[in-house]
Amino acid sequence: MPSPRSTSALRLLWLDVLAILAWGFLLLRFWLTGRINVLLHPDYVWLAIAAGIALVGLGGVKLMDVMQLTRSRRPLPQVLHINFFPPGWGSALMLAVAIFGLQFTPRAFASQVALDRGVTDTLTMTRSQPQSFRANVRTEDKSLVDWVRTLNVYPEPDAYTGQSAKIEGFAIHTANLPDNYLTLARFVITCCAADTYPVGLPIKLATSRTAYPQDQWFRVEGTMITETVGGMRQLVVQSKSLTKISEPKNPYDS
Amino acid sequence: MVQWNSVLTLFFSLMVEAMPFLLLGVLFSSVLLMFVDERRLIAAVPKNALLAALLGSSIGFLFPVCECGNVPVARRLLVQGAPPAMAIGYLLAAPTVNPIVFWATWIAFRDQPELVFLRVGFSLLIAVIVACVFSTQADLRPLLQPAVARAMPATRVQKPTQSRADNPGADLLQSGTFLLGKAGAPLRLDGGGMQAAVLVSNPMLAKPLPEKLRLMLDNMMQELRELGGILILGAAIASVLQVAIPREAVLSLGQGQITSILAMMVLAWVVSICSTVDAFFALSFASTFTSGSLLAFLVFGPMIDLKNIALLLSVFKGRAIAYIFILAAQLTFVLTLLVNLYVS
Repeated sequence: MPSPRSTSALRLLWLDVLAILAWGFLLLRFWLTGRINVLLHPDYVWLAIAAGIALVGLGGVKLMDVMQLTRSRRPLPQVLHINFFPPGWGSALMLAVAIFGLQFTPRAFASQVALDRGVTDTLTMTRSQPQSFRANVRTEDKSLVDWVRTLNVYPEPDAYTGQSAKIEGFAIHTANLPDNYLTLARFVITCCAADTYPVGLPIKLATSRTAYPQDQWFRVEGTMITETVGGMRQLVVQSKSLTKISEPKNPYDS
Repeated sequence: MVQWNSVLTLFFSLMVEAMPFLLLGVLFSSVLLMFVDERRLIAAVPKNALLAALLGSSIGFLFPVCECGNVPVARRLLVQGAPPAMAIGYLLAAPTVNPIVFWATWIAFRDQPELVFLRVGFSLLIAVIVACVFSTQADLRPLLQPAVARAMPATRVQKPTQSRADNPGADLLQSGTFLLGKAGAPLRLDGGGMQAAVLVSNPMLAKPLPEKLRLMLDNMMQELRELGGILILGAAIASVLQVAIPREAVLSLGQGQITSILAMMVLAWVVSICSTVDAFFALSFASTFTSGSLLAFLVFGPMIDLKNIALLLSVFKGRAIAYIFILAAQLTFVLTLLVNLYVS
């Protein structure tokens, strides 16, 4: 047996092919199970799908190649190794991560992350600042994010007092709010989950918030009022009704 | 448990977003490796150092490769007699000033389009300045690795076919985008005429089309597994950092005009993430770090980082790399500080 046809060289070729195929399948699986919405902005899902198809295609072509090589006695193509990883490590890492990913179900960020990142009704200095916002005549058509953007442009809460609101989001029991308040929050996504940031508005309830568990999604209908809660004079939704809803298919707003 | 899930979700979101761009970058670099002859380009280079630097900095639009792919190309340019200003301009700017990176940065930062244009503008500016500084050195050879220096003038006359005929293995080795052997030990290039000739030309050009396509796929696989591995490490670091470091600490570092820039430059240097996808990495810091520091990450990282220092050592001596590093770092710092102070 000539030296280039060593088993280890052949094994490295198989490893490459399997790693590429596994990543292709992983991307397609995220798409087919709908979980890709948890990872990406909807506008860019097609990129991931295209990459998934391309990887499966590339992997397929190379698979046939390697199968032929395994059967035949042709000399193996010279396997190069680049300086960053020892031979096989790059592929092994990719394969391992892809196999793990195939078992893993990404979950949309919820209250814990929102609290870590800080829920605000303002956009801080380094926050990306969208150049437009939708001006709706019917205030109950405004989403939670629309309200926050409007507030950001004109922050005086009194300007909105009395307007009716109908917003959706998940509940957070913010520590600095009294027991009959909860924060209704949503994540905003620009590109992928890495850049999501939470925005939220305080909701004034008729009863204790314990009836409304954290992370449960609600549709809140009510009226805007101005109150000083948590040491801040701010816009609050006086709720008339809270309806449990299921987590939307696309959990982030954009 | 929740935090662990957040880390993983972040990690896979970065990977899923970056993978298409990595694939595209690898595809382009492989196609160009097979089909473009850079010698024609060199024939058209202006003599003026500034113009040559500008041209070199802009040919990333023709050769859109990331910082791992550009070192071998820059070396081929040098050995084929390109003016130093052109080769260094290309080396520093090509990973950023190219359509794929522009598109990826645009998608990541479409809410802050100024970042995208400033990234390209600053990269061009720094590349041209450093290239002009180097062009004042009339003979670049003392700064180059002996093998490259020796290959520069003498072996230009050799035809690519001479090197190909007798050693297909060496061809393959030379043609790839990477040239280092075992960690830290660059491939020996001092083997005399034959190897120097391989350096001079792109031996892929003379092969028949089916062979080219096959080699192109091989090259794609090779780059994918290396860069994919690095991307995984980079994405893992980014997602762990984002969840594990207390928000107050990140904010105090990230909101300082100077500390934020320094932190992001160190991060760029350490993480060594491919320029095709580094915009998505930077994006995960977009809400807590100043615009100037994000820009510093995006401009400095592709020019010089931990990973490509090993690659650069296959062309330059340590002293030259130190000059490039210091010049690029200082210029990046000053320019992005100006952004922090006067723009954002």
